[in-house]
Amino acid sequence: MKTSEAGLNTTFDMRLLDDMARKETVIHRVHPLVKLVTTVIYLTVVVSFGSYEIIGLLPLLFYPVLVITLAELPIRPILKRMLLAAPFVIGIGILNPVFDHQVFVVGGLTLSRGWITFFSIVLKCILTVSAALLLIASTGMDKLASALRMLKIPRLFVLQLLLTYRYISVLMEEVTRILRAYSMRAPQQKGIHPKVWGSLTGQLILRTFERAQRVYQAMCLRGFTGEYNTGAHERITVRDTVYLVVWGLFFALARIYNIPMLIGSLLTGVV
Amino acid sequence: MHMADALISPVVGGTMWAATAGAAAYSIKKVKNEMDENKIPLMGVMGAFIFAAQMINFTIPGTGSSGHLGGGLLLAILLGPYAGFLTMAAVLTIQALFFADGGLLALGCNIFNLGFFSCFIAYPLIYKLIIAKGYTRKRIWGAGMLSAIIGLQLGAFGVVLETLLSGKTELPFGTFVALMQPIHLAIGVVEGLVVAAVVSFVWKQRPEIIEKAALGQPMGSLSIKKVLTGLAIAAVLFGGIFSWFASANPDGLEWSMFRTAGVEELEAPDGIHETLAKLQEKTAFLPDYGFKAPETASEPAAKDGEAAAEESEAWPAVSGGTSTAGIVGGVLTLAFAALIGFAVSLVKKKKPDLTA
Amino acid sequence: MSHHMTEVKDLHYVYPDGHKAVNGISFKIHHGESVGIIGANGAGKSTLLMLLMGVLFPCQGEVLVGEVLVTKKTLPGIRQRMGMVFQDPDDQLFMTTVYDDVAFGPRNYNLEEKEVEKRVLQALEMVGILHLKDRAPFKLSGGEKRAAAIASVLSLQPDILVMDEPTSALDPKSRRRLMKLLDSFEHTKIITSHDLDMVYELCDRSIVIKDGEIAADGPTSKILVDADLMDACGLEIPLALQNCPVCGRKK
Repeated sequence: MKTSEAGLNTTFDMRLLDDMARKETVIHRVHPLVKLVTTVIYLTVVVSFGSYEIIGLLPLLFYPVLVITLAELPIRPILKRMLLAAPFVIGIGILNPVFDHQVFVVGGLTLSRGWITFFSIVLKCILTVSAALLLIASTGMDKLASALRMLKIPRLFVLQLLLTYRYISVLMEEVTRILRAYSMRAPQQKGIHPKVWGSLTGQLILRTFERAQRVYQAMCLRGFTGEYNTGAHERITVRDTVYLVVWGLFFALARIYNIPMLIGSLLTGVV
Repeated sequence: MHMADALISPVVGGTMWAATAGAAAYSIKKVKNEMDENKIPLMGVMGAFIFAAQMINFTIPGTGSSGHLGGGLLLAILLGPYAGFLTMAAVLTIQALFFADGGLLALGCNIFNLGFFSCFIAYPLIYKLIIAKGYTRKRIWGAGMLSAIIGLQLGAFGVVLETLLSGKTELPFGTFVALMQPIHLAIGVVEGLVVAAVVSFVWKQRPEIIEKAALGQPMGSLSIKKVLTGLAIAAVLFGGIFSWFASANPDGLEWSMFRTAGVEELEAPDGIHETLAKLQEKTAFLPDYGFKAPETASEPAAKDGEAAAEESEAWPAVSGGTSTAGIVGGVLTLAFAALIGFAVSLVKKKKPDLTA
Repeated sequence: MSHHMTEVKDLHYVYPDGHKAVNGISFKIHHGESVGIIGANGAGKSTLLMLLMGVLFPCQGEVLVGEVLVTKKTLPGIRQRMGMVFQDPDDQLFMTTVYDDVAFGPRNYNLEEKEVEKRVLQALEMVGILHLKDRAPFKLSGGEKRAAAIASVLSLQPDILVMDEPTSALDPKSRRRLMKLLDSFEHTKIITSHDLDMVYELCDRSIVIKDGEIAADGPTSKILVDADLMDACGLEIPLALQNCPVCGRKK
């Protein structure tokens, strides 16, 4: 059944990202909070570019390229994720050329403004999606949670975030088992028949409630009283600060100056 | 229907983040008050359930179409609106981080579209109103369908507004609405059917789960909820109008401004005063949104702006020279990025050999 | 050493739906004892454990741990002394790394982070999975999960270990490793299981439960070989004591 494979993929992807996050590289050693802040600055800078901007965005590619290589992350799975995120963005963006017909000529090529905005959106999609994935792939959920705690995000929410993350794989396995059992007895169906929508999903909910009850008991037996205590936070070192400042400066430069345009003007001016 | 980072502007993203953070902070306070700390693991595990449930393919026989469970409304029914909203927020956060569904900047939008509307509008104002006289099979179906559809319609409309206000799409408002709303009507119908089926089942098996969730928040808090809803809508409107204003026509403007600025700087390197003035103008964060008025940018800059505005009217007439420069520079930047990436990975690969 | 004695007096528990799960159970478990609690499905073992741990409170009768009555008030102290390992490690390992899971208990008792670290490393060392401390629980094997679950309890330095089906769903090698590990602990052990061979090897004393009541209580070496008693309680004598399948003779 297609759906159960999708589930296995999800679990597999989570394992993969977790593997990536356990590496020990220069990037992995950067303080999680610093990485989070850098990512947010980066995203804001990327998104703040106007919709006709393409060339000026290109220098921002340095960030994902450098992080991927320095953190020794595999490129293919990250590219795959990026493609999965693309359809909605492309779906909205592809209509731009249809609605914006104004054309202009570049070196003999006639392009419409709509295409420029479309490519600008696609480029932004690539940059933003890769930045978010790189953050988690080089940090991991547990360290990110400690960064959130340092930002004073309430304990309740952080704990809940961790619990959700933790139990995705457990419940995925449960659903996969249910769906496998279902499809073995209903080989001709593509999905779940409406007659059992309620009972199949409902059973799963009841089981989930029971599991939550057991988890709660396990927590209580180890002294849980509603407060979630995290360990000591890592300190932010000079190196972390340098990381943040250098990237921050670079992003600012890339935002203020159209670097490729400057280089190009220099070159074409010289030639 | 997740909003993506690439489709929003910082102002819209920031406004929605603020609205969402407000709703979340209020929800945390409410949940803490009525706790029942055994709800904490329940919220966590139910969040994971939403992920798992999205694997289930609900097919409608004869139509060939199928749907998935969205989550917000079901969570509100099972956990109550506040816990439901927080759970949905956690689910969407993890989706943004791990599965590149939506993005970190767009997270505020997504939590609002998929969580707020279903938990704080569809659930209390429609679902609870219908159910108020007590649970029956018929009422569950009616309430589930209606609130799922309305919740999704509001969410889809949110997507439309946020995208348009961000100025990233050229789609006219009418076309966009005509595209999004019917699609989400269909999705809403399937979601409503699934929610109703699931709630009926759970209600039959373990009525106390559902009745307890509904009891969780007394009617007295409705007025606060209304205030909150009002506030949130005001925030959306404010952010919307603000960014509409900011992005009225800045994009073409910006393009030509950057172009002229770059060229001028290179052609007239002696005009230091002018360059400084421009620098000042440009260091204003997000110049096209006019966060900072270019104070020192006196007449020349203002004139420049006018010139640029004029140019943007006649936008297609981009001078061939600068475009070529842009393309040359762009290609070089790309090549350089590739080279650096390649070089770093080469060095990285060599390192273990050297130490070995 | 009456200090660590666990005593159960005329315990009754009725579920809200009217099901009488525990029906007048009494026993005393002394310090350092290793006790197996066995019985058919639905005999009331799990309910009994929940009552021992103060997750449920008895309708009648009382539970005393180290001469302290288990009540809502005394629970925090008692739970530091009694550690329970759940049947499904996925219920017990709810954090995102093994380290955080093992540290969860000590942190809840507001110990210094230094002390927490010491205890975590010590507990992981004891169960032999120190190298897994930064792993995510969902990436552990069944045996590793079980070890991590035990470590998460050991870090509270309990005197009494309560375990629900510790060997279920383990492959033979992992089961053997776990049994060796449990055997090496000097804690008082209370183990429920259907793995009667494990009970036979690890527990000096066995309590047989049937329909919420104690059917037998005594030395394991006597109880588990009593084929009639075992049969009457929905059990059988340990496989190791049954006919040898190859030569067909009693071993």
